[in-house]
Amino acid sequence: MFAYTLKRLVQMIPALLGIIVITFILSRVLPGDPAIMLAGEQAPEEIVDKIRQDMGLDKPLYIQFFTYIGQLLQGNIGYAYHTGHTVASDLASRFPATIELTLASILIAVLVAIPVGIVAATRKESFLDHISRVFSLIGACVPIFWLGLMFIYVFYSILGWAPAPMGRISGDLNPPVHITGLYVLDSILSGDTAALKSSLSHLLLPAICLSTGTMAIIARMTRSSMLEVVDQDFVRTARAKGLRESAVIYKHALVNALIPTLTVLGLQFGFLMGGAVITETIFSWPGIGGYVTDSILAADYAPIQAFTLVSAVLYCGINLAVDLIYGFIDPRIRYE
Amino acid sequence: MKRVKLLSTLVAFSVMLAGCASSANPQTPAATTAASGTTGTAAPAAKSNLTVAYSEGGTTLDPAEANDLTSDTLVLAAYDQLVTYGIKTENGTSIANTEDIQPMLAESWEVNADNTVYTFKLKSGVSFQSGNPVDAEAVAYSFDRVAKSSSGSFLYGMAAIKSVAVKDASTVEVTLTNANHNFLQILAMYTFSIVDQKTVEAQGADYLKTNAAGSGPFTLEKWDPATEAVFTANESYWQGAPNLSKVTLKFTKEASNRVLLLDKGDVDMAIEIPPKDVASLQSNTDLTVASNASNRILFFAMNNKVKPFDNVKVRQAINYAIPYDELLSGVMYGQAKQMKSSVASNTPGFTDAGYVYEHNLDKAKELLTEAGYPDGFTFDFTLGSGFDDWEDDAVLIQAELAKIGVTMNINKLARAQFLEQQKTNNLTSYISKWTSFVNDPGYHLGFLLYGKGSSNYINYSNAEVDKLWDEANLETDAAKRTALYEQAQEIITTEAPWAYLYEYNRIVGMSNKISGYAFYPDEVIRFYPLSITE
Repeated sequence: MFAYTLKRLVQMIPALLGIIVITFILSRVLPGDPAIMLAGEQAPEEIVDKIRQDMGLDKPLYIQFFTYIGQLLQGNIGYAYHTGHTVASDLASRFPATIELTLASILIAVLVAIPVGIVAATRKESFLDHISRVFSLIGACVPIFWLGLMFIYVFYSILGWAPAPMGRISGDLNPPVHITGLYVLDSILSGDTAALKSSLSHLLLPAICLSTGTMAIIARMTRSSMLEVVDQDFVRTARAKGLRESAVIYKHALVNALIPTLTVLGLQFGFLMGGAVITETIFSWPGIGGYVTDSILAADYAPIQAFTLVSAVLYCGINLAVDLIYGFIDPRIRYE
Repeated sequence: MKRVKLLSTLVAFSVMLAGCASSANPQTPAATTAASGTTGTAAPAAKSNLTVAYSEGGTTLDPAEANDLTSDTLVLAAYDQLVTYGIKTENGTSIANTEDIQPMLAESWEVNADNTVYTFKLKSGVSFQSGNPVDAEAVAYSFDRVAKSSSGSFLYGMAAIKSVAVKDASTVEVTLTNANHNFLQILAMYTFSIVDQKTVEAQGADYLKTNAAGSGPFTLEKWDPATEAVFTANESYWQGAPNLSKVTLKFTKEASNRVLLLDKGDVDMAIEIPPKDVASLQSNTDLTVASNASNRILFFAMNNKVKPFDNVKVRQAINYAIPYDELLSGVMYGQAKQMKSSVASNTPGFTDAGYVYEHNLDKAKELLTEAGYPDGFTFDFTLGSGFDDWEDDAVLIQAELAKIGVTMNINKLARAQFLEQQKTNNLTSYISKWTSFVNDPGYHLGFLLYGKGSSNYINYSNAEVDKLWDEANLETDAAKRTALYEQAQEIITTEAPWAYLYEYNRIVGMSNKISGYAFYPDEVIRFYPLSITE
């Protein structure tokens, strides 16, 4: 398995190189001049030219590219003109927020969708199955921005249950001690109950909002792969041995039905990172989504390139992890 | 078995981590106030905290580089300038009077006979937040930073500054290339904030991008463009400690959320309120909505060098075809004012002389026929993204023009692309907003409608207007100058290089507990005069 992992890691290098080149070229080819955005509307042409020189944008494209690669090799991912901070510090402060939101929404999706999928599959064509189908359909169709605004309106504005949609923790609390950057985890680790309560309450609505689409997909996926599995010989054998129904479903059927679900889950992670843009904007969640949108609107190249690169690394990593977990679930899968 | 082992290792590891970390928040309610950080010490004044919702997080704290609303606001909270604007009261509301220049860090100033040398005497005993004295050296250093900056240096040129000389520790002499009536108004801007030279030199060149080193009323505690900026009162401020002990700017992009937060009382103040939400906020008796006429204008620009807009009659016809009332009530919900000159109506020297346009399709049709387009024509219109009202305006205008046979093709562009395209001077027509930082017709027209104006993207050129502007620019007598600018405005209005749309209101929603709010034409809120009662 070690050799397999190593091989996969080496295989990532050309993929990442390709991504570096494509992102670099795409961000330059698209219209929009960062110097104009930075100078402001009232600045005369000389100022724009001066800024362009300061940013190195007056140089030929290949020189800009080699400068960029040179910086990358030194671990320098650039400066974000539209926030006034280095990209590294921006990413360090924002990535954990998005990771936390994404993980929470995956967790919620899994906790809700897998049981729903199992129930729907074991009670096929029953009332519960139809209900789950309707909910999956709604979950897959409802636009996130609408759902988010509705959540805020109902739970914050009318009922007053949810905290103000501003950030990850109440303004009167300090963020928990920085260990992982995930507020919920950090407050558990540091035993900070005040921060835990506040960060959980801030996380809940955006995470549910973000999870709806994934929830629907996982529920349908679990249902269909369960249906495939429950008709197979080994399930029949398990039943014939006189095992309890719960053991048949959970130990024999579910474990075998999880492989396709897991694959979808891995793919959903990347999708959720992208989908977080809208959720983050609506809930003023200080994550990476809004940051990247702003960078694109401001034609700020460095953060766009850095984000794409980091996401690509993350995505490759998740896919590898998913592939490795297959082996845990199904011992028949071997890595060579 | 293997999995159990893995799990127990993980648990052991996290317990170990937990052992190292102490909690960042007090765990018993009693300890909350005592440990809530540095601000906790000023217990009696602790209630005077102000929270304001902003849409953007700002891009820099460097006064010489700041050129967006949030950055400017942050700069003005932390820095002082040599001079500042006076305040006047109009219909019970406080409004900055940009023509009335008041001393700030400068105690007094003298001007030589031909208005080219200004000698500023600094107030004595004023120090920066670091404790360093505010001296002539710091002033010269700050001006020099503006001259070398990317964003602010054009203002240095606009102010016509030739050189800055330190006469003694508290005297600075600024020499201009020529007499400039806007000089003091420009000095009052955030760009010309006086920075603490010693601190900056000790901390390095990039320090001011993310830190403040001023003599202003508030000390920056935290600035994270993703979430919030926090200021605490500078208790030893030379004008007296501020009424507010803490100011927090919360960055909330979604406009509907800013409205909700204000409505629920989770923020005390919110800016950039959508016009459609004003009525619902006004129905909340705990809130006041300040809606002031700003000098931010919106106009429909037509390229004067491109057919058919090179014909005056065609441009006038467009002016007659715009459905002004629908734009004001339907798009802006009454939170805007009809624009009647190329200069905003609250700019000193404004005149609506020559303004005859009202929504009249027959008149428009007649003018088109006279211009040789009895069956209308087709043209391209470029719509920059980012402003909801622009899109509505464009669609309404398109529908109205269709009635006189004119087909307007709307091409949408992202803001960055739009600005790039606009700079080529080749767009046929577009909508654009403009706010003149310096509330003066000379500044305003010099950019937009002067033949060589750097933002004259529609190639408007009229020898008479240029001559009037040149004369006015050198005229030192205010009344004569105004008369020249009035003539220029009348010619422009008659020649109609733009169709005037509306002047935006500056809408700020705030709790009734807030007092001391004044409106400034640059739309930046000054926190120092504000106070909040519980």
